[in-house]
Amino acid sequence: MAEVHVIGQIMGATGFSESSLLCKWGVHTGAAWKLLSGVREGQTQVDTPQIGDMAYWSHPIDLHFATKGLQGWPRLHLQVWSQDSFGRCQLAGYGFCHVPSSPGTHQLDCPTWRPLGSWREQLARAFVGGGPQLLHGDAIYSGADRYRLHTTSGGTVHLELSLLLRHFDRYGVEC
Amino acid sequence: MSKLCWTCLSRLFLKYYDYIFPEYDDLYCKYCFVYGQDWAPTAGLEEGISQITSKSQDARRALVWNFPIDVTFKSTNPYGWPQIVLSVYGPDVFGNDVVRGYGAVHVPLSPGRHKKTIPMFVPESTSKLQKFTSWFMGRRPEYTDPKVVAQGEGREVTRVRSQGFVTLLFNVVTKDMRKLGYDTGPPDTQGVSGPSPPQGLPR
Repeated sequence: MAEVHVIGQIMGATGFSESSLLCKWGVHTGAAWKLLSGVREGQTQVDTPQIGDMAYWSHPIDLHFATKGLQGWPRLHLQVWSQDSFGRCQLAGYGFCHVPSSPGTHQLDCPTWRPLGSWREQLARAFVGGGPQLLHGDAIYSGADRYRLHTTSGGTVHLELSLLLRHFDRYGVEC
Repeated sequence: MSKLCWTCLSRLFLKYYDYIFPEYDDLYCKYCFVYGQDWAPTAGLEEGISQITSKSQDARRALVWNFPIDVTFKSTNPYGWPQIVLSVYGPDVFGNDVVRGYGAVHVPLSPGRHKKTIPMFVPESTSKLQKFTSWFMGRRPEYTDPKVVAQGEGREVTRVRSQGFVTLLFNVVTKDMRKLGYDTGPPDTQGVSGPSPPQGLPR
């Protein structure tokens, strides 16, 4: 079986109107993939930047997959939330990106979006906070049923991932 | 089928690191390495403390340590790839030693020269009263074990403030990765400004 190591960090995020951001992340793979070591999901710390507008998390990611097929290549899905001084969390954006398929170090910029809602909900969000959220996280990384959503864009999450592939050439796969 | 035992060495030279911290001065840095169960250091010091540095008087206002690090690891598995954890400390207004930032980064996977600038953050006090008390008493919130910065679990309950950057320069050499079937991709030597290795030395 071929093996894939994903080693890197969720570095931080820019472009969000709120400060004090945190990120919940998870990895989704197809049926042919098996996670041998590492945690499949997690949540970063809450960061309030003092210099500039980039919130830094430096959250480590270390995953070891074994796979029998290429379909269902790992996808990293992210939810960025902002936390206010009372400790309440408000959704800032959803995003996903495929784990890169070529070995080496990659800088990834993952754009995010959030559901818009009606004008009443938008007004409420501006004054009171809250706002619509997805019931099931699958819509973040799958295309089915997306046509029902009306969304607006959020900021960008920055990741640096290094990929180590093993035995891919044995199976004739070129990456 | 018997499994071959193999080693993968990574030798790391940290040529220098300097520091961008607009508000603070007279800083020193502690470093240590965090790695998985399959890894073990074979040579070199795993942890250390730098000198105390002050900002330069010129327009750059640079904080330079130029601290050398030379360490070798071996492993049977790339999982748990080593990370370097930095903790920076400096004096506060009353002269107490307080933490100015924690940061961590993975040692680069591919051989060659890599320059990384990592953000540094400090844990935040939970309330304004605690913030004032800790400023007054000189006991800021800090991690009991800085190695927690290199882990993903348990971070979701922490609130931090990012307030500076540290630059590291890595030279990485690996052994037997290709022999064991690992492909680390093209050597991505970034264009680095600064002192280059003397002629004739192997990369």
